[in-house]
Amino acid sequence: MDKGNKMDDQHIVTSFDEELKDLTDGLVSLGGLAQIALRNVEQSLRMNDHDLAKQTIEADKQINALQLSLEDKTFNILAKRQPMANDLRMVFSAVKVSLYLERIGDMCKGVCKRIVKGDLLNAKSPKTIDALVNLTKNVQQSLDLVLEDYAQGKAQHALDVWKSDIKIDSSYANILSAILEDIKEKPEAIEALVPLFFIARYLERIGDQATNIAEVTHFIVTGETLGDDRKMEVEDETVF
Amino acid sequence: MKLNGDLIMDEQKEQNNIRNKKSLIECRGVDVFYGDKQALFGINLDIGEKEVTSLIGPSGCGKSTFLRCINRMNDVIEICKVEGNIKIDNEDIYHPDVDVVELRSRIGMVFQKPNPFPKSVYDNVAYGPKLHGRILHKDDLDAKVEKSLERAGLWSEVKDRLGEPGTSLSGGQQQRLCIARAIAIDPSIILMDEPCSALDPIATAKIEELIDELKDNFTITIVTHSMQQAARVSQRTAFFHLGKLIEVGDTEKIFRSPDHEQTEAYVTGRYG
Ligand SMILES: Nc1ncnc2c1ncn2[C@@H]1O[C@H](COP(=O)(O)OP(=O)(O)OP(=O)(O)O)[C@@H](O)[C@H]1O
Ligand SMILES: [Mg+2]
Repeated sequence: MDKGNKMDDQHIVTSFDEELKDLTDGLVSLGGLAQIALRNVEQSLRMNDHDLAKQTIEADKQINALQLSLEDKTFNILAKRQPMANDLRMVFSAVKVSLYLERIGDMCKGVCKRIVKGDLLNAKSPKTIDALVNLTKNVQQSLDLVLEDYAQGKAQHALDVWKSDIKIDSSYANILSAILEDIKEKPEAIEALVPLFFIARYLERIGDQATNIAEVTHFIVTGETLGDDRKMEVEDETVF
Repeated sequence: MKLNGDLIMDEQKEQNNIRNKKSLIECRGVDVFYGDKQALFGINLDIGEKEVTSLIGPSGCGKSTFLRCINRMNDVIEICKVEGNIKIDNEDIYHPDVDVVELRSRIGMVFQKPNPFPKSVYDNVAYGPKLHGRILHKDDLDAKVEKSLERAGLWSEVKDRLGEPGTSLSGGQQQRLCIARAIAIDPSIILMDEPCSALDPIATAKIEELIDELKDNFTITIVTHSMQQAARVSQRTAFFHLGKLIEVGDTEKIFRSPDHEQTEAYVTGRYG
């Protein structure tokens, strides 16, 4: 075999490979937990399902614990292996990705708390609830795409996710004005309507986290940070 | 403030990947043979003035061979033949008119194992300047020895032991003595071939600190097997493999995101 001209995927030190795989597997699991939390958010919103919302709040502890253990693994790899090049990018980014996912978990918990405490039905605003459910679906789509990219070590959806984040931001703005309108029309429902504000805000921020993960994945794959100029380009394209 | 013309120049430089740093050593199409066996293949490499360039690559890839081309040490190996062009400060160092002894006096070399002469600490450092007939008066020589030991970060440790044999020093001190010996001849270039491989981490850190200081006055090329060392001490890194230069670039680039898969495989420890 001509070993000189072939890049071998395996490290000479097998235990290093195992540690990296363990870390990647952990991040993929964490991503899976975040996806489940977001799916639960969508269903709880749609069905006003308080039991599911409570379960989701409880499940956030698992996300936090996994995030901490991944941070610990990353720290050990840095200390023991002094990774370089693509390994360095992957290991360094693992901490960021795990934190973004943990934030998503927190925000899902936030949405679920509002569902449990406030009563969506009292808001008497099925349109806004529908809009929030749709927003959740869009955010879910983004998260699915970035996690797929991350797991495969590709950055093919980074720009799409950006574009859809801009749409997410504008749906968010629309929902806010709709809620404001509702409050003006039905001041008596204000207590039930205000939590919808928060829910919209949480969902919009979950979208931001997905975009952050897309940026990190792009960095891992290419070694370059997606420049602000590139982002501007996308924003220009998307302004109507 | 930059004028428009400067900006255009900068842009052009960036596009052509031309560096602002002046190249002191320019190698073009360097082939080296040991008898029938070719050890280096068409090396094109520029080494910037007053900065540290590290040469990395697996054992046997030709790093030491390349280093020895620069001070024509390969000349002393009977079967070794060097082809191609190497210029130092625009002078072709393989031109028949070149005085090899004079050339070597401009280039200091430090080896893997500290190799002080079996002489006193003082004489180790004084040897070069005396040999090259550069310093004739005892006072000047004393000053030269002190200054060289000072620059090598060794003076305070040996100033009361100047008469003792160089070999009586610790390994790390011996290596700094060899560096003092190398700089005593006022070279413009210092070549180091795995200078820390026989040293403990503290002695290594001292040498690295020294290299960092020396680069303000000398052009340094260092061969090292430690990625971390290359990353710490050098501004440029060149990766050799099987006698070829695969990639050269800013050290940060090489260790963060090299262009070539082979470089990535090597620096991440994926050599199969
Ligand atoms: N004096 C010599 N005679 C014959 N072949 C030699 C000689 N010196 C080096 N070689 C050959 O040239 C090739 C390059 O050797 P070189 O010592 O330059 O490699 P290197 O990169 O410095 O390796 P290492 O990291 O082990 O020091 C090797 O194949 C080696 O066997
Ligand atoms: Mg060597």
